[in-house]
Amino acid sequence: MKVNNEFKGLLPALFTAALISMLPAQPGAQVREESHGVVLLRGLPTLETAHSIAIVELDPEQENFGEILSEVTQPDMTHPLHHLYYSPAGRLYATGLDPVCSLAEIGLERDATGAPQVTGFECLDTQGQMVGEDIMWHSSNGTEYMFVTFMGGTGGDDGGTLGVFDPQTNAVVKVIEARPSQVGADKPYIMYPHGISAYQDRMIITSTVHPDLATGVGNALTVIDLNTLEPIQNIVVENEKPLGFPSSPVEVLFARPSMNENIKPAVLVNTMFGFETWKVPYDEASKTFGDPEVLYSGAANNTAVPLEFYGTDTELFISHALPGVVKRYDLAKLPDLVSSGPDIQAAPGAHHMIFFTSKSGRDLIAVQNNLLNLGNAADNDPTDVDFIAALNAHTITVHDLATGEQLGSVNFREKYSKGVDNLEGLFGSGFVHHH
Amino acid sequence: MARQRWIATAAAVVAIGTGASYVIRALPPDPTPVADFSAPFVFGRFSVPQDNPLTEEAFALGRRLFYDPALSGGNDRSCATCHIQRLAFTDGLPTAAGLNGESLEFSSMSLVNLLWGQERFFWDGRALSLEQQALLPIENPQEMAQDLEELVRELKGSRQYRRMFRQAYGEVSSENIARALATFMRMLISAGSKYDRFLRGEAVLTEQEELGRKLFMAHPDTKVSLRGGNCIDCHSQFLTSGFRDGLDGFSNNGLDKDVDLPAGLMAVTGNPAHKGFFKVPTLRNIAVTAPYMHDGRLQTLEDVMDHYNGGVVVSPTLSPLILEADNAASPPGSFVGLRLTDSEKAAIIAFLHTLTDEAFLSDARFSNPLEGEL
Ligand code: HEC
Ligand code: HEC
Repeated sequence: MKVNNEFKGLLPALFTAALISMLPAQPGAQVREESHGVVLLRGLPTLETAHSIAIVELDPEQENFGEILSEVTQPDMTHPLHHLYYSPAGRLYATGLDPVCSLAEIGLERDATGAPQVTGFECLDTQGQMVGEDIMWHSSNGTEYMFVTFMGGTGGDDGGTLGVFDPQTNAVVKVIEARPSQVGADKPYIMYPHGISAYQDRMIITSTVHPDLATGVGNALTVIDLNTLEPIQNIVVENEKPLGFPSSPVEVLFARPSMNENIKPAVLVNTMFGFETWKVPYDEASKTFGDPEVLYSGAANNTAVPLEFYGTDTELFISHALPGVVKRYDLAKLPDLVSSGPDIQAAPGAHHMIFFTSKSGRDLIAVQNNLLNLGNAADNDPTDVDFIAALNAHTITVHDLATGEQLGSVNFREKYSKGVDNLEGLFGSGFVHHH
Repeated sequence: MARQRWIATAAAVVAIGTGASYVIRALPPDPTPVADFSAPFVFGRFSVPQDNPLTEEAFALGRRLFYDPALSGGNDRSCATCHIQRLAFTDGLPTAAGLNGESLEFSSMSLVNLLWGQERFFWDGRALSLEQQALLPIENPQEMAQDLEELVRELKGSRQYRRMFRQAYGEVSSENIARALATFMRMLISAGSKYDRFLRGEAVLTEQEELGRKLFMAHPDTKVSLRGGNCIDCHSQFLTSGFRDGLDGFSNNGLDKDVDLPAGLMAVTGNPAHKGFFKVPTLRNIAVTAPYMHDGRLQTLEDVMDHYNGGVVVSPTLSPLILEADNAASPPGSFVGLRLTDSEKAAIIAFLHTLTDEAFLSDARFSNPLEGEL
């Protein structure tokens, strides 16, 4: 399970998370700040900028399109925060790549004019779990917990943990760990977990890649029984190997009837290095998973590095970092992928996205185009790697949701000398449901 | 000669003095933005009129006006007569007491978190801003029966008010009275209840409160055996008030049959589809604001739950959200209601009690400033 040389020497941790982001559950929710995005910005070493959390205007119809409205920097962190999530209670969290801050709660407040402000962030005790990736709130035996995947886990060559936290106090309730070397052959393991999704009492996490991108790559899903909080099964999702190494399943979505009543439960998963989207059927009555099947092949369709699942009321969106497109599917037809329109042509690195309406009421999608923001060889940036550089447009492009037409683009490297690693909507509430 | 010089000097001094005081008076006021303002992010966006920003001076003036009986024609009642702090700025009466001894048509409304929620005020939504609202009770012959010009004259006669108006806005005027009262009311922010502390991760709800919270937030769905009280469909998740957009924050929650249904919002919009629509009120501090509904017809929270559970009266404008919300497949023609169990009703009531914010109800900043002066 060795990755080839192209990947050697990268900074720890990669490829962000984020699954389905269902739009506000309530029509006419009273907050009208959809066009504000919260972004995690990465300082670029040769440009001498610091990592930061910022609020940015993303409506091309606004005069201050692309402007940062509030920003808090993290000068003391070598690696930036990684991925933002709102809890059901409206608290904002971020996972982090720096061992000093693998999970954080971010403070948001309003000033006397009503303007939102980032007030700071507090790094949480993870009991040694590192390289936080995805967060999901879900119940186990009737009690709600905050589940976090840590791709580095507590360290080592085959590490990785699923952290279970008290959503009120942020305290660790349990560290679920099951290294292949610990559990023994053919026993369910957890390794490099990244994607996370759940339905009823079954949670799925993925086995993606060792954070150093050199030690190992995964090719399977791990099923967690939420009654016992133990891993009970691995499901291999691997077929073509266009890059010559394991498939690296990344984001996962447990498609389920609460998204749309026509949906029969099944797991969808994107393989970062296999370039595929897989479906694993689920039988609710017997709680068993069927044979995995490839629904979409990037090799056959000239796309690579599929990343995120996001959803609106009617469609499912999947980003493909190369060539930088967002494909769209009919939500009601899940778990099958039935196209609902032409691809949205974003930019290399197409990754996270948000949906909102413009000032004039136009439905928009904003796509963050950056796989891993490590600088650019042309700038003599020591952290650059060509493969990654080709996947970093450093932009957020904003498109008409109906037609895909690009209406605006913010280039964070040009404008702020920073990369943009993550994008989340500033709804000012917990209406955003990931996974 | 000497005397003349003295007179000339005195005249000059007077002239300079008057000039100076004229200059001081003409200087635009430079009020201080409210210090340490903080509002929970989850309450959402709000906006304050650009010509009436939140300032310390306007707040102090508004607070004094709110409590000052000089605002009424008979100098015998203030806003606080009907809006009492420890009752979350309600008055404990079914409907407010009018000046002629008769009671008014409507129940006094709680004044809390008015920066958020509907941008229309009063049960029927007839006022479009707090500035517009603030002068109405003053002039209302049944409420405070005060002529505004007369009030401005009275306030101009007070040194203290002249100074306070000058610092906050400039001159004493009815517009500035309205602005100051609006500022005071905008600052009545309640965000310290157990529910708020729960949201911030600082408190844990009891099992019963937590069940009540879940029921409050859920729309029942018998197909997937999800039980719910449906409250969140109208009383929003964090504020518990109605929604802000358009007229979304008004509805008919099934109190009366068509013939008895008051006009409500229809009186303002003229639209028969709005007959019997009332402003969805905040439920913050609801445990201290009995009796309930626009006319105070329900005495207790138990009565309120009985209403939603099985006492809903059907009329053409009854909210479909209420008509549809049922925890059991009800036989056709039977009563409309949630069909929750007694313990589920009790759980929702327990949750409603977590909305009481003791710190708000006793916050000295919102108390009567005149009391100290007596
Ligand atoms: C006689 C009792 C009484 C007095 C005095 C009184 N109010 Fe009220 N207030 C009421 C009643 C009753 C309502 C509801 C009236 C309606 O809907 O028509 C109300 C409603 C309001 C509302 C609307 C709240 C909302 O959520 O829509 C505000 C604001 C308010 N009053 C402020 C004031 C101010 C400021 C004063 C003093 C200038 C004042 N009131 C004086 C009884 C009173
Ligand atoms: C369809 C919208 C709707 C739903 C659903 C709804 N309410 Fe209300 N509620 C209202 C409206 C409108 C009023 C004011 C009605 C009036 O006075 O005419 C109100 C009034 C109240 C009041 C009285 C407030 C006061 O200040 O007098 C309470 C308490 C209350 N609701 C609790 C609840 C609870 C608890 C639930 C869920 C079990 C619920 N409501 C569901 C619309 C709704």
